[in-house]
Amino acid sequence: MWLAWSVCALRSLALFLNFLLQPNLNYRQITSLRQFSWWGEKVSVAVGVPNPWTLIGYLSLLLLLVFLIDATVAAWRRSDRRQALIVGGGAIFFVAMGWAQSSLVIWGVIRTPFLISFCYLGIVVAMAYELSSEVLRAAQIAGQLRSSEADLRATEQRMDLAARAAGLGMWMWDLVRNETWVTDHCRALFGFAPSEVVNIEKFLAKVHPDDRKMVSHEVEKSLDGLGDYGAEFRVLSGNGTIRWIDGRGRVEFNGDGKPVRIHGVSLDITNRKLGEEALRESEIRFRTMANTAPVMIWMSGTDKLCTFFNTGWLDFTGRTFAQELGNGWAEGVHRDDLDRCREVYVNSFDARQPFTMEYRLHRSDGEYRWLLGTGTPRFGSDGAFLGYVGSCIDISERKLAELDAQRHRTELAHLSRVALMGEMSASIAHELNQPLAGIVSNAGAGQRFIDRGDVDLRELRALLVDISADGRRAGEVVRGIRRMLKKGETLRQLVDLNDVVTNVAHMIGPDALLHSCKVSTSLKPNLLPVEADPIQIQQVLINLVVNGFDAMRDTPVQNRKILMETEHRGNELIGVSIRDYGVGIPDEARERLFEPFFTTKREGLGMGLAIVRSIVEAHHGTIAAENAADGGARFHFTLPVAH
Amino acid sequence: MIVPDSLVFAIDDDASVRKGLTRLLRSARYQTEAFNSASDFLLRPPHPGPSCVIVDVRMPGVTGIELQEALIQRRREEQLIFITGHGNISMCAKAMKAGAVDFLPKPFRNEDLLQCVGRALNRSAEQRRRNAEKTSARLLLDALTPREFEVMQLVITGMLNKQIAAELGTAEKTVKVHRGRVMQKLRVTSVAELVRLVERACVARATRAVRETKV
Repeated sequence: MWLAWSVCALRSLALFLNFLLQPNLNYRQITSLRQFSWWGEKVSVAVGVPNPWTLIGYLSLLLLLVFLIDATVAAWRRSDRRQALIVGGGAIFFVAMGWAQSSLVIWGVIRTPFLISFCYLGIVVAMAYELSSEVLRAAQIAGQLRSSEADLRATEQRMDLAARAAGLGMWMWDLVRNETWVTDHCRALFGFAPSEVVNIEKFLAKVHPDDRKMVSHEVEKSLDGLGDYGAEFRVLSGNGTIRWIDGRGRVEFNGDGKPVRIHGVSLDITNRKLGEEALRESEIRFRTMANTAPVMIWMSGTDKLCTFFNTGWLDFTGRTFAQELGNGWAEGVHRDDLDRCREVYVNSFDARQPFTMEYRLHRSDGEYRWLLGTGTPRFGSDGAFLGYVGSCIDISERKLAELDAQRHRTELAHLSRVALMGEMSASIAHELNQPLAGIVSNAGAGQRFIDRGDVDLRELRALLVDISADGRRAGEVVRGIRRMLKKGETLRQLVDLNDVVTNVAHMIGPDALLHSCKVSTSLKPNLLPVEADPIQIQQVLINLVVNGFDAMRDTPVQNRKILMETEHRGNELIGVSIRDYGVGIPDEARERLFEPFFTTKREGLGMGLAIVRSIVEAHHGTIAAENAADGGARFHFTLPVAH
Repeated sequence: MIVPDSLVFAIDDDASVRKGLTRLLRSARYQTEAFNSASDFLLRPPHPGPSCVIVDVRMPGVTGIELQEALIQRRREEQLIFITGHGNISMCAKAMKAGAVDFLPKPFRNEDLLQCVGRALNRSAEQRRRNAEKTSARLLLDALTPREFEVMQLVITGMLNKQIAAELGTAEKTVKVHRGRVMQKLRVTSVAELVRLVERACVARATRAVRETKV
C-alpha cells in the first residue's frame, strides 16, 4: 500500500517539477533541436543539458517497478499465474524499457526519438488481451449459467412432479430473511392460496388446535439443534374436513451454529391414519368384546405360543397376562389332562383343524374346574395362517349334571329292570314253579311208595335224581333273576348272540303263551362273538319282545308271532332283529321312539326303549326301528364283532 | 278208595312236572297216562271208564283252556284239574265256570292234588251214571206220542186232570186215558216218580218253560 502511495507521490512530484522547472525536468537547458530521419520520418529531438532533478523522476519509476514486481509476485502467489505473468510481466517490461530508452535519448547516448508511447501501447495491448479474454470467459460462464439454470428448472419440475405424485409438499423457510418457499402442492395441502405469502404463524394457524402446541414445540426443538423436525398432525382444511399431515424437515446452521434455513416436506397421510384408526378401532372393539365376553378367550401365533388372554381368562386363573403368555397357561391345566390337552392342541394345530376338548383348569380359588375349550385356526385376508383363536367355558356344572344323569340312568335302568321283572312275573313264576312242582310231586310220590311198603329202590333212586335236578334248575332261575336285578357295573364277556336269543326265546315262552303269541327264531349259524354283558343284551331283547306282545294285543290270535333273527352285517357287525305283527310304529312316534319318557302305552313309563338304546350304545352299537312292509314293526340293533 | 276202571291223564310240556305227577299218581295207585301236549291227548280214544285230566293251563300249541273247550264241544265227560305255574283270577274263573274240578297253582300240595283227583273221578263216575240214567229216561220218553208228552208235561207241574183238559181244550176223560198211558209207558206209578224220571232225562227246561208261561 505504502509502496503504491509513495510511487504516486514521487511521480506527482516529478510531474510537478516537470512543469515548474525551465525548460523541463529532463533538461536543464535545451541547447538545440536536432532533426534527423528515422525510418523515413523526420523526427526532431531536443538536445540539451540533462537536468539533475530528473533523478526524482527516475526514483519514482524505480519505485513503480518495485511496486509492479511486488504486485506481480503477489498475483503469482495467488495462483493467478497467467494473469500475473501477462499483466505484471508486461507492465514491468514496458516501464523498464521506456525508462531505459528515454534516459538514453535524454542523455544523448542513442539518437532515436522517444519511443515511450510505443511502450505504453505494449502495456495497453497486454492489458487489452487480458481484459478481452476475461470478457470472453465471462460470456462463456454466462452461457453455462443459463443452461444450468434450465437444467435446474427441469430438475425442479421433475422433483415437483415426483413430489406431487408422492403427495409430497416441499417447503423451505429462510430464517435469516424470514422468507418461505412453498410448492403448489404443499400450498394445496395446507389450503394456502397460490400467491399467498406463507409464514410460520400462518402455517401454525392451519394446524388443528389440539396439535398446534406439539407442532410448534417440534419446530422449536429442531431449531435448537435437537434433531430433525418431525411431526404428525391434523390440518383444518377450508371445508371443515380434517387432513392428517406427516411433516419432516432439516435445519441448516451457519458457522456460528445459528439456524439459517429449514427445508422440509409434508406428506398427506390421511388415508393411512384413517386405516390405522380403523385398525385401532377394530382392535379396541375386539379387545372390548373379548374382555367383556362371559367366556375365556385366548389367541396364539403361528409358533403355537399364546399371545393373548382376555380378562375372563385372567380373572378365572387369577394369574397375570405375562404368566399366561407363551406356554404359561399350561401350568394351570390338571396333571391328568395336560398330556391329552397338549396332544389335541398340537395335532390340531399342525393340521390347521379346529378342535374341541374338555379339561380341568386351576381356578383362582384353588378348585379345578371342567372347561370346554374350542380352538379355530385364524387366517389373514391373504389366506396366510396367523395362529389360533379359541374360547373356553366352564362346564363343571354340566359335567356334574352329566355324572348325575349317568347315575340317574343307572338307577332308572335298574328300576326298569325291576319293572321288567314285574312284567315278566308270569315267566319268572312259571320258570321257578315248574321245577318246584316236580320236586314236590316226586317227594310226595316217594313218601307214598315208602308208606305203601312196596318200595322199588330203582324207582326211588330215579325219583331222587329228578328231585335234585329240579332243585338245581330252580337255583339257576333264582340266580338268573338276581343277575338281572343286580345294579351297577356290567360284566363284559365274549357272547354268542345266538345263545342269548335262544335263552330269551325260552325265558319269554310262558309270557308268549299268555299273550297267545308264537315266538320263533332264525339264527345264523357260527355267529362271531361280540363283547357284551349277556344280561343286558337279554334285557334289550326281552324289552323288545314284550313291546311286541303289547303291539299285538289287537292282532288276531293266529297272526300273533314274533321272529327273532341274527345275522352277520359285513365282517364287523352282528345284527339282531325282532319283528312283530302288531300295529306298527305310528308316524308321529317314530322320531321320538327312543327318547326317555316317550310312550304310546297308556300305563307305560316310556323308559323301555330309552334304556334299550342306552344299553346298545354303551355296547358301541346302534338301534333303529321301522315298519315292516307286511304289517308290524321291526326293531334291529347291531353290535360290533369282538376282536 | 279208588274208583274202579278209572284212569288219570297228566298233560304238561315240562318233563319235571310230568314225571313228578305220574309218580305221585302211581304212588296213590292211580292208573296214569302222561302226555306232553293236549293235542297228543286228543288223539287218544276216550277212556270208557271214569277219568280225569290234570292239565297245565299254559302250554305251547293247544293250551289247557283250549283243551277244555274242545272236550266240552265233543261232549266228553273227562273231569279237568288245572295246574299252573302262574295263573290269574280271570283265567281261573273261566276254567271253573266251564266246569273244571279245581285250579291248582304249582307247586301244589300233594294231598290237595290227590283229593282233587279223587273228587274228579267220583264226579266222573257220577256223571257216567247220570248219563246212563238220562239215556234210559230219554228212551222211555221217546216212546210217548206228542199228545201224551204234552199231557205228561202238564202232569208234572201238579195240575189236576180237569185243569189239564181245560188247558188243552179236551175232555177230562180223554186226559185221564192219556195220563194212564204215560204212566204205563214210563213205568212209573206216581207223579213223584214221573217228575224224577223227567228230571233225569234233562227235559226240565220244557217244564220250566210251561211254568213260566203260567206265571
